[in-house]
This record gives sequence, C-alpha cells and structure tokens, in this order.
Amino acid sequence: MSRKHENAWGAPVPGEDEPLDDRDVAVLERLGRAVRDVDPVPEGLVERSLFAMTLARLESEVMELQQIVAPAGSVRGDAPPLEARTITFTHERLTVMIALSADDDGTHVRLDGWVAPADTLAVELRQPGGERTTTADADGRFAFTAVDRGPSSLLVRLPGGGDVTVSTPVIEL
Amino acid sequence: MRGRPGFSTSPHEVRTAMTRATEEPLGGAPDADESLGDRAARAVLEFRDGRTDALTDLVREATPLLWHTVRAQGVDRDVADDVVQSTWAALVRHADTIAEPKAVLKWLLVTARRAAWETVRKGRADLRRRTELPDDLTEGSAALPDGGPGPEAEVLTDERDRILWSSLRRLPARCQELLRLVSLADRPDYKAISASIGMPVGSIGATRGRCLAKLRAVLTEQGEASWT
Repeated sequence: MSRKHENAWGAPVPGEDEPLDDRDVAVLERLGRAVRDVDPVPEGLVERSLFAMTLARLESEVMELQQIVAPAGSVRGDAPPLEARTITFTHERLTVMIALSADDDGTHVRLDGWVAPADTLAVELRQPGGERTTTADADGRFAFTAVDRGPSSLLVRLPGGGDVTVSTPVIEL
Repeated sequence: MRGRPGFSTSPHEVRTAMTRATEEPLGGAPDADESLGDRAARAVLEFRDGRTDALTDLVREATPLLWHTVRAQGVDRDVADDVVQSTWAALVRHADTIAEPKAVLKWLLVTARRAAWETVRKGRADLRRRTELPDDLTEGSAALPDGGPGPEAEVLTDERDRILWSSLRRLPARCQELLRLVSLADRPDYKAISASIGMPVGSIGATRGRCLAKLRAVLTEQGEASWT
C-alpha cells in the first residue's frame, strides 16, 4: 500500500491472487451504480448510434465535429436546447456550419447552414423519417425549415463530378 | 447469404428494421449463460446474414461500456457522443472483415479507445492553433471542450459512494479505467475488457486481480471494512 511509486504491475498486492468474494462483488456493484450516476450515458445516444450505423451503409466520408457553441450548461443529447446553437463540422475539403433555432412555436427546428468554400452544392438532410434535399446558393448558404426533432445528419455532395459525399456525425436536433 | 436486405434499402426502411427489435423479445430465446462477448459475436454473424435485431440489442447493451471507455480517455461529452457513434458505424463497415467474431467485444472497445485518443491528440493540436488566433477567442469559445475535468462526484449523495469514488481516484489511471468498466459488466466479459486496455491476462476475473485488491486496500484504510 505504501508503494506509491510502483506502476500498476510493479509490486504484488496482498489478496490479488484470491478468488473474487462477496465483498468484491458488493464493491463492484456499488461502483457500477456510482459510475452510471456520475457520468450518465447521454439520452438518445443509442438512437443516434443506430442511425449512424444506417448511414454507414451509404459509405460517405464522415466529417469531424469541430465545435459546438451552446448556452452554458447545456449538453447536446441531454436536453436539446435550441437557443442560438451553432455547430461546425470540418473535412479536409469542406467546412459546414449550422445554426439551429426554434421553428413553428418550438415544435420544429429551423436549420440555417453555410458551406465553405462557397459553392452551389447539393445538401441532403437525413433523418430516420426520410431525406430532404436543397442546394446551397452562390454564397454557400442553405436552409431547412420545419425540421422534425431527432437524430439527423447532413450529407453534402462535393464539387468536381463523381459521387463524392461527406456527411456530418449524427446530431440531435 | 450476404444479401443483407435490411441495409441495402433506404435509410428509412433500415431504421425501421433496426428499431423493431426493441419491442419484441429476441427471436431465438437467448441462453441465460451467454456473455456480452457471446452476444456480440452472434450479433455480427447474424448481421452478415442480413439480420439486424441482435445488433440493435447489442448497441443498446454495450453503448454504456463504449461511453465509459471513451470518457476514461479524457474526452468531453459532446465529442464522446460522436466517438461512440462512429465506433458503431465502423463495426457496420468492418462487419465482413472481422476475422474472429469472438473478438468483436474487444474490437469495439479497442476501436473506441483508439478513436478517443485520436480526438484528444487532435483537440490539443487544434487548441494550440486556435489560441494563436486572437480573433477566435470570442465569448462563445468559453463553451469549448476543455478536455474534461473528469467526472465529478458531486452527484453522489451516499457517504459510502463518496468514499468508494474517492478511493477509486487514488488508484493508477489504468486501474481506475479497468474497474469502472468491469463494474458495468458481467464476470465472463472481464477478460475482454482487460485485454482491450492492455492489462495482463488474469488481471481480474478468475482472481481478484491487482486493481481490485488495491481498491480494497484503500477502502480498508478508509475504515470501510464491511460491504456485504
């Protein structure tokens, strides 16, 4: 116990070769409850993961979540607030920024987006309920109104022909 | 054999196929002795045959383990959300190439762990770059991930829980990670969990193992002798 400078495998610890007993089981059970309480899995992560698996079959490259700016104290997935939430995604050839706001008295979401470098690219909004497509204007701006809440991913077709697409991670709207 | 009807169609239809399982019991009554590792292997084999119900159940059951694996690397909650998702997406992409189905659980844990490291490494590089650009230091940047202060134990109201948590925090980092993960799992899966974080075989499971023995020693020092 006093060998604080040993690494985890340095010195044998008394009792380490004994079989697990009732106290071990009790300690681990209590620890399991504490782990779940201290750092709970975000609400909806399972659903977002299932939707991401569905999208994975579509083989597009997934962008990286760069930055979420949200009101202090809010965490995506826990209780999605919509006030002034902006999210930035990056890919080596493209950046997508989106701003979310309440639409239709808060039952739906308005999504204003911007792709850089600006180009008239096809943008697809994918949700479990289906897809919607729009095209960014010459300034790279696009918008989806009256969007259902829930797991969502944007897919952008890159310029230059071919069928190269990038998509955002699944986010909770 | 490899038709995989559920996934060759539109996302909407696939989604329907993947959620249905939650409302019904599993098709073939699962063996009560089946471990999570066994269920993971079965889920991938069935997925290769185009059946997704077992995989959907696996996502529900194993997401907490992946979550805590990623969080144990110091990844903040928003990014951890994406790392867990992308780990599951990677399983779908690699389902055909995982040579040893019995190793699926370990594969998931290792993949999540590596992806978590990668985001921590990139996050540090980005932070360095950003702090060199004063324009980016707007008020909004206060909400930037900061690598995470680590789970806070303030939510624990029970005194024994607090003692347990503070005792855990005194162990070496890898012991903390191991014990947090095995506390969420059943004993047959301890081996896969140990292996995924590079612990010696037999570090916990058949015997108490060094990490749990250390935790008990600290608890005894704290005067917490009776736990049963």
